[in-house]
Amino acid sequence: MARYLIVRAGLGLVTIAGVVLLTFVLQFSLPGDPARRIAGPRASPEVLATVRANLHLDDSVPSQLLTYVTDVAQGDLGVSYIRRRPVIDLIMERLPATAVLAVGGLMVEVTLGGGLGLWDGLRRKRSRGLAAANVVLLSIPTYSLGFLLLVVFAYRLDLLPLGGGTSAKELILPAATLGLFGVPYYAAVVSESTRTALSASYMRTAVAKGLPRRVILRRHVIRNCLSPVITLAGLDVAIYLSGVVFVESVFAWPGIGQLQEQAYNELDRPLLMGTVIVAAVVVVAFNLVADLVRALVDPRARVEETG
Amino acid sequence: MTPLLEVERVSVHYGSFEAVTEASIAVEEGSTMAIVGESGSGKTSLALAVARLLPPGGEIAAGSVRVDGVDVTSLAGADLRRARGRLVGYLAQDSMAALNPVLPAGLQVAEVFATRDGAGRRDARRQAVELLAQVGIQRAAEVAAMYPHELSGGMRQRVMIAMALALRSRLLIADEPTTALDVTVQAEILALAAALQAEHGVTFLWITHDMGVVAEIAGTVAVMYGGRIVEQGPAAEVFARPAHPYTQALLETVRGGAEAPPKAPFATIAGAPPAGFIPPGCPFHPRCAHVHEPCPDIVPATVDVGPGHQAACHLLGGAR
Repeated sequence: MARYLIVRAGLGLVTIAGVVLLTFVLQFSLPGDPARRIAGPRASPEVLATVRANLHLDDSVPSQLLTYVTDVAQGDLGVSYIRRRPVIDLIMERLPATAVLAVGGLMVEVTLGGGLGLWDGLRRKRSRGLAAANVVLLSIPTYSLGFLLLVVFAYRLDLLPLGGGTSAKELILPAATLGLFGVPYYAAVVSESTRTALSASYMRTAVAKGLPRRVILRRHVIRNCLSPVITLAGLDVAIYLSGVVFVESVFAWPGIGQLQEQAYNELDRPLLMGTVIVAAVVVVAFNLVADLVRALVDPRARVEETG
Repeated sequence: MTPLLEVERVSVHYGSFEAVTEASIAVEEGSTMAIVGESGSGKTSLALAVARLLPPGGEIAAGSVRVDGVDVTSLAGADLRRARGRLVGYLAQDSMAALNPVLPAGLQVAEVFATRDGAGRRDARRQAVELLAQVGIQRAAEVAAMYPHELSGGMRQRVMIAMALALRSRLLIADEPTTALDVTVQAEILALAAALQAEHGVTFLWITHDMGVVAEIAGTVAVMYGGRIVEQGPAAEVFARPAHPYTQALLETVRGGAEAPPKAPFATIAGAPPAGFIPPGCPFHPRCAHVHEPCPDIVPATVDVGPGHQAACHLLGGAR
């Protein structure tokens, strides 16, 4: 088990290094000049030159990369160009809001997707209605779905606030948007696992034992659906915790995703890199956590991983 | 004395396919009947029908099954659920698949006590461990906490048997439970079955294609071919005086091996058993060495050929 963890951690570092390299190089393709952004449109060429020199913007790309990687390796994500504050502080400030949204979205998709999947899996025939709903939900981009919900529930019906804060009422629509996008995945996985469990030989054993329906459902069906759901949820938590740019920007949710979007627009390279690195670390860490939890729920997973 | 299991003219259909045709058997309490046949002979369908465990699409189209005087074919809903296990237990061939992979072995025995008797978690667990020890599992408490994939095939089959003991099933259907095991473990499981029968009076309906197993454990034997019971009677009688050409050929394949010179080829029955289509008339006629005029057209009647010994073959006379 220790060896497995070391290997996984090593692979995770490689992944993170790849993400850092790729993002760093790609940000140079963003149009615009960071120095102009910082100094303002009317700054004189002399001021621009000073800003460039201070930020090493005239160095070659490999040299800038080397400087950046050296800093990151020492735990320093740098200082935001525009906000003049350490990147790590800016991200940490946004983390609670993002975490609340992540948990909200996860609850929606697991309960709704899991419930629908179970319902569909227990039917003799697959529900066409569910299949159609899945296709629709999968095809709508989250920002369109978000705007749709916003227009209908906040603007037309005036049931919920338009957003901009982090109150419970303001959480409902962004969490629903995030969750609805995930529903088809959970519904499909749970429906399939349910069908597999129902047609399994151990189901015949359970029925032959004369167990009540609810015990069969809870212990012999739902229990066997947990493993794939945990894998999915682990991935989702990671992605959601690293900031969901579209949903956060549609609902003006003050999370990491919104911060990242602002960093793009402001050409704030340290902030942009910081949010990407944090995202990569969170994704890698939660994948590992999900695998470990899955091993707890599904004893067979333990053998594959240790053996 | 009424037999514990009475199957009367049972037919099992999967849609338009008739897997079992008018099968009748009777098993006395505390005895073992073996049902012998090749793959596709309908033996498992008959067993599943008795246990009311036919898969979706399968149904008992005709006939009746009485266990301990209860007509199980007419049971439904909660009555059926309560009767399951209590009347008929089921030992599957593939114990790996028959146990839930994500639950500890002990829990799968203990849940019987918890749901049927309302026993507490600890009490149910204690009873389960006792039963595991009783079926010959060493360090039963440790094994109870293990998962099916951590156990050997023989241990898993013992867990299945412990489950049946927990249910106190009147009739235990053993669907080739030893087929997947190696010979020494197979012998242990057969010995365990015999011991449990002596101790608890368990009645077995033992499905197998292995004549050696039949000789070892069965008091009576029914031979199935093409969905029909072609011969049945006391095992000793059937072995000594097989009346149906199929039974004779089947025994030949076993005995040929022992008496023939070492390198002689195994005796075989020419042709293949029916799959998906049962020939009209006597189902065995396409492979029978004695096939004659009425065989392809008329199903032979079942006639008595000895004390408690019946067979269905045109060679034996009976109504044409």
